[in-house]
Amino acid sequence: MKTKARWTVVALPMIAVLLLAGSARLRAADQPAGAEVKIDNFSFGPQTITVPVGATVTWTNRDDIPHTVVSTDGVFKSKVRDTDEKFSYTFTKAGTYSYFCSIHPKMTGKVVVQ
Amino acid sequence: MFPVTGFLGTGATFAADLNLAVQVAMGCALIAGAVLARQKRFTAHGVCQSTVLVLNLLMIGLVMWPSFKLQVSPALPRRLHKLYYGVAAIHGFAGVAAELLGLYILVVAGTNVFPPRLRFENWKSWMRVELALWMVVFLSGIGTYYTWYVAAFR
Repeated sequence: MKTKARWTVVALPMIAVLLLAGSARLRAADQPAGAEVKIDNFSFGPQTITVPVGATVTWTNRDDIPHTVVSTDGVFKSKVRDTDEKFSYTFTKAGTYSYFCSIHPKMTGKVVVQ
Repeated sequence: MFPVTGFLGTGATFAADLNLAVQVAMGCALIAGAVLARQKRFTAHGVCQSTVLVLNLLMIGLVMWPSFKLQVSPALPRRLHKLYYGVAAIHGFAGVAAELLGLYILVVAGTNVFPPRLRFENWKSWMRVELALWMVVFLSGIGTYYTWYVAAFR
């Protein structure tokens, strides 16, 4: 009887820890991962990024020149972002979103939402 | 107001390309205007230089000032040592000086708004200074365009 009680004392917390870890992993899998695009040396990197529906993409300006992030279709549009400033947008619909810098229109990129 | 992509095949916006084309045309017109003065065709000279001055004011308001305010002025003076900002700042400040001096010359030449003590007699010297200043502005403008939209994408 004593041995059974000892096993219960050891096993119950272990089961609880395993259950908590499992549920946390499930919650993490439910949430779409965020993605980062770096703006540097007059280019977006990576130029094309693929993310799941619901993902938030964050652009960070690592250049010492101001840039913008503007969707070709007018879906999103950032203000002028100076060095180290960020712009984020959450993609709620699948599709391909082309974008560019309105100050330097030769800078282009693409977000593929699946 | 303007389409986004430029038409000169560089990394510039449409507004920047349009401005460059207009500035080159205005530079030619100013030189032509100086030739008219040398030929003593003063009325044609006045019309030519005044048109350039007013057209430039329009380009400042539509293209250059918004661009300067958006991109250059927030970075001044801490990034003045960088070519991207330095050449644009020289162009901006010299451009304001040239435009104001040009307007002053225009008002003195064409009106009696200023009292005699604020008017000049030495026409040639003032206009030569203005033409020289305008050329500095023109060259620094070309430098700005090259730095912003050509060299950056090489």
